[in-house]
Amino acid sequence: MKGSRRIALVAMTLGALLMVYPYAYMVGSSMKTRKEFAEDRRSLIPSRYQIGEQLAHFQGEPSALDWPGADWSMWRNYVDAIRYGGIDRYLGNSFIYAVVITSIQLFFNILAAYAFARMRFFGRDLLFGMLLATMMVPPAVLLIPNFLVIRELGLVDTLWGVIIPGFAGAFGIFLLRQAFLNIPAELEHAARIDGCGSWGILTNVVLPLSKPAIITLGLFTFMGAWNMFEWPLVVLSNQDYYPLTVGLSLFRSETTADWPRVFAASVMGAAPLIVLFLVAQRYLVGGISLSGMKT
Amino acid sequence: MASRALWAQRLLPYLYIGPALTVACVFSFVSMGISMWVSLHDFDAFAGASEFVGFDNYHRALYSDDSYFWLAMRHTAVYVVLSVCGTLLTALPLALLCLRAKVGQALFRTLYFLPSITPGVVLALVFYHIFGNYGQLLDNSWTALPALSLLGVWAGAGYNMVIFLAGLTEIPQLLYDAAVVDGANRWQQFRHITLPMLRNTLVFVTVMTIIGSFQVFTSVYIMTSGGPERSTEVIAYSIFVNAFAVAGQMGYASALAWLLFAVIFVFVFLQMRVFRSRRIYD
Repeated sequence: MKGSRRIALVAMTLGALLMVYPYAYMVGSSMKTRKEFAEDRRSLIPSRYQIGEQLAHFQGEPSALDWPGADWSMWRNYVDAIRYGGIDRYLGNSFIYAVVITSIQLFFNILAAYAFARMRFFGRDLLFGMLLATMMVPPAVLLIPNFLVIRELGLVDTLWGVIIPGFAGAFGIFLLRQAFLNIPAELEHAARIDGCGSWGILTNVVLPLSKPAIITLGLFTFMGAWNMFEWPLVVLSNQDYYPLTVGLSLFRSETTADWPRVFAASVMGAAPLIVLFLVAQRYLVGGISLSGMKT
Repeated sequence: MASRALWAQRLLPYLYIGPALTVACVFSFVSMGISMWVSLHDFDAFAGASEFVGFDNYHRALYSDDSYFWLAMRHTAVYVVLSVCGTLLTALPLALLCLRAKVGQALFRTLYFLPSITPGVVLALVFYHIFGNYGQLLDNSWTALPALSLLGVWAGAGYNMVIFLAGLTEIPQLLYDAAVVDGANRWQQFRHITLPMLRNTLVFVTVMTIIGSFQVFTSVYIMTSGGPERSTEVIAYSIFVNAFAVAGQMGYASALAWLLFAVIFVFVFLQMRVFRSRRIYD
């Protein structure tokens, strides 16, 4: 019994190293100079910080500390990515897209979910079934026609074109409706007797009681919007509107790319979500366990 | 006055569901209609020209000698199979190990989950180098596609592990206790309790992986552009290239998209059934 636990622990630790390695590689490479990266693409630590090179330099022998750029600070590539690569603008765009999509989708979804959960109206079940059916269409199939819709609306190459399809989601409505249904109806009756309308009930009773579900959905929407790639790639051609993902993809086929700088930009693109994840982990993991929600 | 209030009362629900329903339906059903129309035309969105051609686009995809549809479908199928096998062979064992390890579960879950919250573009760029550093996996037409699915499995392992963990913790300990009393060993417990009790979770993970893998795009676009020698040209990439990189092929690309939909639909249907049977926020 004891032995199997130890084996499990060792196996999980090895697996964890495999998970972390690409991140270590990304961060390490982001601190290299171009020459260091060209000379040694594999090492996790830039040559000029390696003890062997430092010793050699100390003893007056030739070392990586004599290479051009040896006086680079660890953050030089990050500064350059912003100064020359326009990464700050891409990051800003990603942030705007994610915030706008998340807030509007939450607003629309909450309204719809509340109506589907608590109101009686003609065609409710039919409309809800229709809504669920929209989930059956895979995104890859919708790429072209969604683009054509956006084009008809005259929104190609605009901020709105990127965000409008994200304004509502059947899955989010489904999830919120379930949460709303679990709120005891007696609470709402009480609020109604106290003179609340449906809007008052929604804001004063329903929303405070379903905070976890709303936070979970908000986080997933935010992450999905931050990570979206193919859609903005198709809609946008003006680089000024690119989100970080599309901005980064510009480097993919450049053999002359300043890779350490690209890695620095990648770190900056991945970091916000990792921080968000660490802060709000329990909502995310709970949400997945309960529903199999996908970022 | 009274009747006006009544009308407002009746219309209110539609006001509530209106915005969300409109957006959701426009960008699915209306889109699908447009897509169907386009697939029946020789359509050039940028020149604004279109000519009705019936099922020519489908015919071309399925039967024409210069069609890469079957090639792309074959590659996609290989990618899907590798991804599903890889996912089941990593995520479930990881979940079992994670439960057994007892200590550090939260830390492991966090670390394994990192790829799920990292932009696919970032993962693709990093693995482009890692695969290049160790054996030029992406330069060989035999290893490029498995390498891509390796990235997919690696990236999804933690996410699927969390789902399996949820499924595993739902299995009553009582069953295992009873099995131990009956003298069942570890393997027998796994075979006769864990696996049957995990059936829904297994189906869910498998179907989700299949649907997701059928649409793989980002890693292909970033890491191989369909190469070398078209060996990683998958269907979603074909659709993208034909629609947006080659002029005047949007009708053909839409036909490809419908063919992909037809293939995926079986699995989507399964997904919906599982999805409905899952208890959410019980």
